[in-house]
Amino acid sequence: MLEVIESINWSLVAPFIVIQFILMIIGLVDWAKTKQTNGPRWMWLFIIIFLNIIGPILYFIFGRRE
Amino acid sequence: MTTVLFKKELLENWRNKKWIWVPLVFILLAIMDPITNYYLPEILDAVGGIDGAVIELPDFSPADAIMMSVSQYSTLGVLVTVLLSMGAISSERKSGVLDLVLVKPVSYTKFVVTKWLSLLSLIWSSFIIGMLASWYYTVLLYGEIPFTMLLAVIFYYGLWLTFICTISIFYNTLTHSPGLVAFLTIGTTLVISLLTSLFGTRTAWSPANLSTHLQELLITGDVPSALIYSAIVSILLIILILFASIYSFKQVLHNRNE
Amino acid sequence: MGILSITALSKKFNDSYAVKNMDYQFTPHQCIALIGPNGAGKTTTLRMIAGLLKPTSGNIIFEQNKNIDRRTLIGYLPQHPVFYPWMTGSEFLTYSGQLGGLSKSTSRKRCEELLDIVGIIDVKDKRISSYSGGMKQRLGIAQAMVHKPKLLMLDEPVSSLDPIGRREVLTLMEVLKKEMTILFSTHILSDADEISDELILLRNGEIIESGKIKELRQKYQTTKITLQFAERQTFYEEKIATLANVRNTLVEKDSIQVIANDITKARNEILQRAVQEDWPLLTFRLEQASLEEMFMKAVNHS
Ligand SMILES: Nc1ncnc2c1ncn2[C@@H]1O[C@H](COP(=O)(O)OP(=O)(O)OP(=O)(O)O)[C@@H](O)[C@H]1O
Ligand SMILES: [Mg+2]
Repeated sequence: MLEVIESINWSLVAPFIVIQFILMIIGLVDWAKTKQTNGPRWMWLFIIIFLNIIGPILYFIFGRRE
Repeated sequence: MTTVLFKKELLENWRNKKWIWVPLVFILLAIMDPITNYYLPEILDAVGGIDGAVIELPDFSPADAIMMSVSQYSTLGVLVTVLLSMGAISSERKSGVLDLVLVKPVSYTKFVVTKWLSLLSLIWSSFIIGMLASWYYTVLLYGEIPFTMLLAVIFYYGLWLTFICTISIFYNTLTHSPGLVAFLTIGTTLVISLLTSLFGTRTAWSPANLSTHLQELLITGDVPSALIYSAIVSILLIILILFASIYSFKQVLHNRNE
Repeated sequence: MGILSITALSKKFNDSYAVKNMDYQFTPHQCIALIGPNGAGKTTTLRMIAGLLKPTSGNIIFEQNKNIDRRTLIGYLPQHPVFYPWMTGSEFLTYSGQLGGLSKSTSRKRCEELLDIVGIIDVKDKRISSYSGGMKQRLGIAQAMVHKPKLLMLDEPVSSLDPIGRREVLTLMEVLKKEMTILFSTHILSDADEISDELILLRNGEIIESGKIKELRQKYQTTKITLQFAERQTFYEEKIATLANVRNTLVEKDSIQVIANDITKARNEILQRAVQEDWPLLTFRLEQASLEEMFMKAVNHS
């Protein structure tokens, strides 16, 4: 397993991970600012944090109350 | 007037952060498969394969890598596009804010066209950024592919996305339920794709075939005539559906009953 | 010349009429109150005039400028206005102004002015999602008049306002009347009585009475004289009944109600006799029927 981790060129994969991270942060910031969401607020917190990529997208599309 | 309407859309999509998250999601969709497939052999090796079984992995060409991004867009990309656009007009009607807008002397045509343009500007920007990322990784991991090829992919596949956006806008003018808009748009897209594959070569001109023809273009390097036909048909349909949207919006508002 | 006339206007929902056969001529610079109980058809009428609802039959004709978009002539406040919650009050108002045909700079200026007039200048840069019901109502009134329409239609403009807000808005309407025709709905008679020149009484979608408020008052005027005597009430009642200008008398527990043919003459006659004959008069009161009574009367008549 270690070999794999060494063999992966991290500068290539980094953007992929960074973008996911940014997406999550933006989701969290927005979540923190809104008082009301569609459905329980804390549920969205878990969705944003624990569902990779999909979580923040779900939150932006379905969770935000406009 | 169009500028006023358009600026409002820009501001809205900035405040609800669509201008941030949609491009990011499109980048992720584009680079996800090229990266995973590149590292797949190592990953499989590390898990030890399956007891001495030799796993043959196809060697991917740069064209294959680009098509990986396109195929992600064909499923998740389309899904995100539809969900993004499902409330473009319908949610404003549902909430009632449209009453305040439309008692002002606003042209219905301009209103619909602005909604369409605003959606397209978001989708096209995100799509272009995503494809640039895809191209970058493709060149890095799989080898050279001409920039003109990338432009061709952006142009032709962009037509398919535009087609879907236009269908969504059309349904937006018909109902005030965003969920129904999403359902109808996805349904229509599926039916078109299904019919297209059902009739095989006889529907080579179908917009749903744009990505198939694109693959051919990438492999052979020649523009297949079917691609041109599909593109022309797509453009005509887009114009037609846009006009239909304007017409239906006017009709629906004119005959308002609640 | 009028500004707007509606003829034989009807709206049917399913099988029942929400508005039925309505005719009216709107004269400029008047304040017209649309009065009626819940479900009378006020909102339906206003929405049809605003072009937000298609009439089942009948016509709505704007007299002037037949070839311009009639929406430039009207301003409209819905009963429950909804805005873009992500905008600030001042952004929405500026946007409304621009949609109404103002340039950005004019709209900005007008927006500041109006926000001050309707009293929400303090929260102009806050998101509308954080506004209270009354603040939204005020913003709604501001957006309705931002492009200086000829006809301002307000659907229950004061219903969600506190007493001070109500007063402010009523005063504002009084001022606006000089520049435009105002058509507003309410079910509070005293509001209508206070600022409107004309009344339209609606019930079950039909106009049961309409016209200038002064004329209506006269029409339904039942001025009466109430008298109380220290003693021998019936004795005096009989005397009064024989007076020339008295139409009718009515003895209640401890007072006499006198309905006169001519109120001034009857008053003089009674007072003269009272002095001459030294009546033991305790109370002498002239009463005018309130708009409320008039309303009830009109409703009962039909
Ligand atoms: N969209 C609709 N569908 C069916 N019936 C309707 C609709 N809108 C109004 N109505 C009916 O039309 C009638 C008039 O309604 P309207 O809203 O005009 O009354 P209103 O005078 O404004 O009452 P309120 O004082 O409660 O606001 C009511 O009986 C109502 O039930
Ligand atoms: Mg009403």
